[in-house]
Amino acid sequence: MSSILEEIETKIAGLKTSTTKSNVGVVRETGDGVARIEGLSDVMLNEMIEFPNGVFGLALNLEETEVGAILLGDTTKVAEGDEAKTTGKLLQVPVGKALLGRVVNTIGQPLDDKGPIKTETFYPLEKIAPGVIKRKGVSQPVQTGIMAIDAMIPIGRGQRELIIGDRATGKTTIAIDTIISQARLNKAAEESGDKNYRPLYCIYVAVGQKNSNVARAFNVLEREGAMPYTTIISAPASDTATNQYLAPFAGAAMGEWFMDNGMDALIIYDDLSKHAVAYRQVSLVLKRPSGREAYPGDVFYLHSRLLERAARVGEEFGGGSVTALPIIETQAGDVSAYIPTNVISITDGQIYLETDLFYQGVRPAISVGLSVSRVGSAAQIKAIKQVAGKVKLDLAQFRELAAFAQFGSDLDAATKARLDRGQRIVELFKQTQYNPIPVEEQVAIMWAMQNGFLDNVPVDRVKEFQSKLQDWLQTRKEPLLRSIREKKQIDDDLTAQLKSAMEEFKTTWQ
Amino acid sequence: MKINKEIRQISRELLRASFTDGKLDNGKIGSLTQSLVEKRPRHYVDILQLYKRLLRLEIEKRHAKIESATQLAPETAVSITDRLKKKYGNDLTTEFTVDPALLGGVRIRVGSDVWDSTVRTRLRRLEQEL
Repeated sequence: MSSILEEIETKIAGLKTSTTKSNVGVVRETGDGVARIEGLSDVMLNEMIEFPNGVFGLALNLEETEVGAILLGDTTKVAEGDEAKTTGKLLQVPVGKALLGRVVNTIGQPLDDKGPIKTETFYPLEKIAPGVIKRKGVSQPVQTGIMAIDAMIPIGRGQRELIIGDRATGKTTIAIDTIISQARLNKAAEESGDKNYRPLYCIYVAVGQKNSNVARAFNVLEREGAMPYTTIISAPASDTATNQYLAPFAGAAMGEWFMDNGMDALIIYDDLSKHAVAYRQVSLVLKRPSGREAYPGDVFYLHSRLLERAARVGEEFGGGSVTALPIIETQAGDVSAYIPTNVISITDGQIYLETDLFYQGVRPAISVGLSVSRVGSAAQIKAIKQVAGKVKLDLAQFRELAAFAQFGSDLDAATKARLDRGQRIVELFKQTQYNPIPVEEQVAIMWAMQNGFLDNVPVDRVKEFQSKLQDWLQTRKEPLLRSIREKKQIDDDLTAQLKSAMEEFKTTWQ
Repeated sequence: MKINKEIRQISRELLRASFTDGKLDNGKIGSLTQSLVEKRPRHYVDILQLYKRLLRLEIEKRHAKIESATQLAPETAVSITDRLKKKYGNDLTTEFTVDPALLGGVRIRVGSDVWDSTVRTRLRRLEQEL
């Protein structure tokens, strides 16, 4: 009790410092979440501006006689003639581990019913990305638990990998699966007391989504036990354009805290198409000149400065990382539209999802030909490299042959074998949602495929074979899985063990 | 009012021409306005309006508004005026008003600079901090 009294006493003492100097202006017009203020001669770009009734704004346009500011909070409380004053502060959000397990809005205020967020640390939304000296190459994997991605389009910690596709092709599902996979790995490492494992904390930024979608993602993450390692930042479609524009930057700030403290973070921006639309709206009401498709000239810079903040820093700077998985929604598969091409050119690769594949039942509907990870196999463990090195090539050859084989029925044995192998790989890479597969099981399954243990399994029973094999490995061959996990590569001993295990399984499988 | 580049440029030039020795010159302003009204160039109404706004902002920069909760003693008022003139120049005009809602203290505004020592502001700050 006495500490509270002391605190109040110090605050009152602070007020006794008689006169305060401030820089003020008068609101000349307001509307559409934007205010134009006359005066404010000392205001700086991106500075917070305080309005009466506790509303804050952000100075984005500094003009000769007035300042254009975007409003945060209840915009109806700002009226013409109100006095606005500068604060000398940048917009900042709370950061730290207190945010894990929480759903917050753009400025870090809680949206769940779990009480206030207890953190002392704040980070500015806009921050310059780490420079060349601080950075280090990407070499540690992010295990997404999605076999097709981990095998063919590996993602590394510190990478920026775009997830792109039409509506309803499973973009968010890939992101959610990745979060679930991280949570399981983090939990397993905590339980086993593995000090070498670096937990990966996830931040899911929902921009311009339906509230129902955000709620669904939250429910899935909570059901799967992923929320203790995850923060959700929600700027739904009903939120102001200002909040939608700022939400990804808030996510980046929260992720940077983990990086600066030597930890790893994964940020999902869902999605940047809607983010660009929100920024276009803000820019147009601020009367900034518009360019192609009415987007402002700096829409490229908007995304490049955001995604540039994903990085892996060197050991001397803590060795932390921020991995970014931006999502872009295309219209009718058009990747050559303005925003998709911008973001493709910024990121270190993309996972392209196709509607046709999705309806053919290939889910996740990853188009292997158009998807790429520019980090490549540097972000894979050796065991995966050993079993999946040739998968992408096999699949490419399969697709070429499959098109060719449609015209003729007589095929030579080699072509037929390649087609059979391709069909089985496609089947293996089908995966139900919210069901990430641990890396050691992926290795075992792909090893079985590469070594011909699936060749006499009918194509329509490959999935059944796979799930029974996984169950069998989990229940009967736990030591084998553990040694794959620990050794991270397949040596002669493991090869022999895998061979005998597969032969044993094949005898039981009907 | 839609302001284009041309209007902004002409208004700015008019403002620049309205000074004599760094001070606004009423005679010049009058003659500039008169010639504009007579010649009626393109967008002359918009130019006049923007010119008026620029002039208003310029005048505000040289005008001090001093608000207090009670009537200030004449010697206090003189001392405030002197100090402000020392800081902003001799052409500064002053305006004293009484606003009981301030509860106590003085608030001085020159252009967009504000010095505030009123009880109302301090109470608001306390309210925000608690």
